[in-house]
Amino acid sequence: ENVDPQRTAFLLRKQWTLYSVSPLYGFSNAQLRDYARLLSAFIAAEKQKGLAVEVGVELDIKVAVSSLPDLKGSDQDQAAILVQLSSRSPASPKNSEEKLVWLGWFCCVAGDDLSQNVPEDFTCLPLFLANGAESYTSIVGSWFQKTFDCCFRRLAISPLNLSWMAAMWTGCKVEKTASAMELVFSVPCLPQPLDISYAIHPEDAKALWDTVQKTPGEITQEEVDVFMDCLYSHFHRHFKIHLSATKLVKVSTAIASAHCDGIVKFLQSQYLTGVLMLLTELAISQIQ
Amino acid sequence: MDETVAEYIRRTVLKIPRDEIKTMLQKWGFLSETQLQTINFHQIKENISQDVVQLCEENSANIKQAAVLDIIYNHIYPNKRMWSVYQMNKRGEETEIFDLTDFKKKFKRRLRSALKNVTINFREYEDNAIWIRIAWGTPYTKPNQYKASYVVYHSQTPYIFISASMLRSNLPLLCQALVVASNYHDIREMELRSHSLNSLKDIVFKRYSQNFQTYCPRPLQERNVAPESADLRIIHENKSEKERIQRVNQEVFGDGPQPKLEFAQYKLETMFKSDPKIDVLDKKEPFRCLVKFSSPHLLESLKSLAPAGLADAPLSPLLTCIPQKARNYFKIREKKGLFPGSFVSP
Repeated sequence: ENVDPQRTAFLLRKQWTLYSVSPLYGFSNAQLRDYARLLSAFIAAEKQKGLAVEVGVELDIKVAVSSLPDLKGSDQDQAAILVQLSSRSPASPKNSEEKLVWLGWFCCVAGDDLSQNVPEDFTCLPLFLANGAESYTSIVGSWFQKTFDCCFRRLAISPLNLSWMAAMWTGCKVEKTASAMELVFSVPCLPQPLDISYAIHPEDAKALWDTVQKTPGEITQEEVDVFMDCLYSHFHRHFKIHLSATKLVKVSTAIASAHCDGIVKFLQSQYLTGVLMLLTELAISQIQ
Repeated sequence: MDETVAEYIRRTVLKIPRDEIKTMLQKWGFLSETQLQTINFHQIKENISQDVVQLCEENSANIKQAAVLDIIYNHIYPNKRMWSVYQMNKRGEETEIFDLTDFKKKFKRRLRSALKNVTINFREYEDNAIWIRIAWGTPYTKPNQYKASYVVYHSQTPYIFISASMLRSNLPLLCQALVVASNYHDIREMELRSHSLNSLKDIVFKRYSQNFQTYCPRPLQERNVAPESADLRIIHENKSEKERIQRVNQEVFGDGPQPKLEFAQYKLETMFKSDPKIDVLDKKEPFRCLVKFSSPHLLESLKSLAPAGLADAPLSPLLTCIPQKARNYFKIREKKGLFPGSFVSP
């Protein structure tokens, strides 16, 4: 996992919306330039049709498609594919700065479960992450679906998976100045909705997890349950509220944050691949 | 008329919902009724504000006059701001008659002696509330009208409500001026903050219905219970438990509407204790947490938790004490000694 932190720094601290993508048919790494050209034409055509992406602003959208070979788990994985949309307002001169308006990337980290079971002509890139306007995501998604006969679906993250993330990420070693381990719970179905933020000092959270986890490098469901129960009972002791009966909607640690609507943020390049591995697994279970 | 005044009036009018603009201008009273008749209040706000500025130009408005419109706006829409509560203390028992003129004079004098560039406006309301608007400058710059502070003082009480939105460095000066002007000895900030100014007043003036401990030998049957099903084989599950929860909730929260707060924050520095069967963390140091509850109407929300099955009844006193203690920021530490399970909130 020798990910060059400089090459992936641009992925950090951005809000990514997650999708699962079924295997792409007829995709080739050698044709990325062509894909950029075709996608660019598609976007221009959509704009002509009046499906304006930005009201009142005439923007020239330029598309770049490239490969991110660093982002994969094993050699069996496909290299990640990055799609960048930049714009230049027609008013400014030809060689002026282009502004990045949308970013999306496909990846597969330790996706053997899926890639081992698909025929030759299919490419497995089950996880898609998008940052930028929903309207662009929609256009890019449509083009990929049409061109490679695949299917994009929003990836939701269940409270069960969020607690796994909480336990796993709490266990990671971080510097002294790490941010708190925060769990956010929502109770929407009351006459007045309630949100509860429960943030634990990262050292104390890690100390608790370390006494729960029996084998380093391995995590069991039972250990995750014990960890969460401890946090719930400490809360109950003070407030008499059963957090286990509410909905866990967000987990935030120094490593990464994840929201049940399928929105994540990566905060440390050191653990980027690890988090992607988990997300790839979630995407694959949604596809299968 | 100064350009900055014109711009300030324009921006203030733009904040007002279109249907309210005419009434607010009438309350302001700076433009005559005849002048107001010339404005078309059905056009877009941009144009209305331009017309207002034009008329103010005719009357040569100055910044102090413009500031009055701003106070009126904030008095009608106080919930757009975040308010903190302060309490003043008197040294002795002497109750002096409150003299408004004296208060204003002393306040202005104290502020101006430290800071030349301030805009100060007062406005009194029927409920004995004195509203003060202060725009702060520096020795070298004119006051920033867009970051004014607001103070609401009920002269019969020791409580002051402040919406600061300014450099923290000016706060001590403001507090000092208030203490001096009102003939008190000192002032301290309470751990109570909310957007709802009226709810803060309800809490500190004890205007909400409090829960009095009543002796009830049997459950009261005041509530209208839905008519029982004619079929005697159908019963409500856990009926007595549900009734107990309702009763306890009522004792703890009182019967009337709760004051409106949006959040409560608890800094926990208590020990982590777990089920002794589970072999987990047994540190000698506190398990440090920060818990924040948020809701459009927090106390009503908390009140509904036990009936919804999400919490025990009675709810923890850490939550139910909020109105009585008049605070929504807490630091909780373990109480040492006889009762290790109880908490102390300094």
